[in-house]
Amino acid sequence: MASRSPALARPPAFRGVGRSILLTLPIALWSLLMFMPSFQRAGRDQHIGALLVILLMTTLFFLMMRTGETYRWRRIFFVALGFLFPVGFIAALIAERGTMSIPISRMVSGDTPFCFMVTPSIILPAAFARTIIFPGSILPSAEHPHSIAMMIGVWFAMTLVLGKAWCSYACFFGGIEEGFAAFAKRRRLHRFVTKYGSILRLIPWAILVFVVLASAALFEPVYCMWLCPFKTVTEFPAVRNLETAIQFGVFVALFVGLVVVLPLLTKKRTQCGFFCPFGAFQSIFNKINLFEIRFNREKCVDCTLCQTSCPTAALSKESIRDGKTLLNCMKCGACVDVCKKDAAVWHLKGTAVAVKPERARLLFLYGAWALATMFGGSILANSVATMVHWLPWK
Amino acid sequence: MRSRILSILAYTGAGLTLLVAVCVPFVLIQGFSNFVAHAGLHIDATYSGGTIARTVERDGYRIVVYQPVQPRLLERVEPFVQIVFEPADSLPSRVSDEIDLDGDGRPDVRVSFTMPADPNAPLRGDVTALNATYISLTNVGGESFSRMVVRTGNKIVVRVPLNKELARR
Repeated sequence: MASRSPALARPPAFRGVGRSILLTLPIALWSLLMFMPSFQRAGRDQHIGALLVILLMTTLFFLMMRTGETYRWRRIFFVALGFLFPVGFIAALIAERGTMSIPISRMVSGDTPFCFMVTPSIILPAAFARTIIFPGSILPSAEHPHSIAMMIGVWFAMTLVLGKAWCSYACFFGGIEEGFAAFAKRRRLHRFVTKYGSILRLIPWAILVFVVLASAALFEPVYCMWLCPFKTVTEFPAVRNLETAIQFGVFVALFVGLVVVLPLLTKKRTQCGFFCPFGAFQSIFNKINLFEIRFNREKCVDCTLCQTSCPTAALSKESIRDGKTLLNCMKCGACVDVCKKDAAVWHLKGTAVAVKPERARLLFLYGAWALATMFGGSILANSVATMVHWLPWK
Repeated sequence: MRSRILSILAYTGAGLTLLVAVCVPFVLIQGFSNFVAHAGLHIDATYSGGTIARTVERDGYRIVVYQPVQPRLLERVEPFVQIVFEPADSLPSRVSDEIDLDGDGRPDVRVSFTMPADPNAPLRGDVTALNATYISLTNVGGESFSRMVVRTGNKIVVRVPLNKELARR
């Protein structure tokens, strides 16, 4: 039972086809609007990429409407994003510089693309010394389109809408773990995760505090330089001495351990739940976000299926008893989908719990899916275009 | 009554959140980007090289001398001075320049390197210190942020480490 897919709990026909199409229409139009520039400017590969992504995002949203399930369909998009993002990114690096490593010359010329994961590290130096401790460019230009100002703008604007749901609708790294977790047939180490969950959940906060303080003290992005597992599948400082060799070793070890092996064993997003300082930072924004998951205590039978299914261990027995998720809930919808008693519900803060949960879900999903289409969708389209470009018969 | 007001506020907030979501790609990203861009921030001198002190014109190219970069208390980088030769494609095949870094009218270092025919080929060069404030470098490429002779686009960036004791005076 523990390893059962959350999506199997609910009957497939939650809503009629016509009504589902009607509810999907805004997302279909939004997708067309988002990818219109791709059709006007770019070549055939980009057109194919954009078209496939429009179809994917619209179809998945339709299925969310039709079945009433969120997690299963979101996961398809999210895993595709996680596994295809490195394809497009690495292909661009290889085409541009022939390697995934960043030579020091690229760092001093401000060519390093800014990654949102570094955001917490740069806050203190930016606030107190007006200095960005990242080898990028603040303003966008033809040579540096992914400028720091633009990426922070994207992150902050999306965070206002998504809160911690960034981690399940936008983060292109989380999909890799979710993919490996989905491959697992059995849920191992479950007892360990449940027993020590309260301690494990504190680790990202400890790493966040360490990273923020160490970055401010050393004036370097400590997480990027030493702790980011995803350097393994994006870009990393070129190995030029013992220090950079150790850094590379740490990246690979963290990636293999936290992103591949542990998700395969536990069916959980272990890096996201028990390591990622950016995820902890993002949790703070759950406080100002209006959408959340709540538990109807009148219906809840304390079966803990929701707790078992949660990919980041954002539920404890105590929190379920209180009718709430923990602060690190990323609103993926796994607990709602798996609950056989309909006790886990989408909720709009300020309204009565479990009165109109589907309305809350719809209001949340429109915003989340629109931004997922804009941000993740464009990354997916780019990666698909890269793969189409490689097709041997072209 | 209170719950009704709360409910109205909640749905208003949800509507505003949706509005924000719709505005993200059209208005908000640009708005927040402009805010960050105009917040008076700058890239750390370890990466950017710091501020320009002066420019020396040579025959067909120029040498930009930066102000010395002094690391902060716990920063893991040596103090250095950045020198940029630009445009790289106008440089002679062999460059050997004596450069005044501190503006006292006397040369402080001699920078020598041979421009490879292929712009993507790794560049290596020598820096000879002409006074004790600077540290000589032999056959250096992109070793560290304070010791380098590298090509970035159409520029050659040279970083000369400073003698810590003398640099503080």
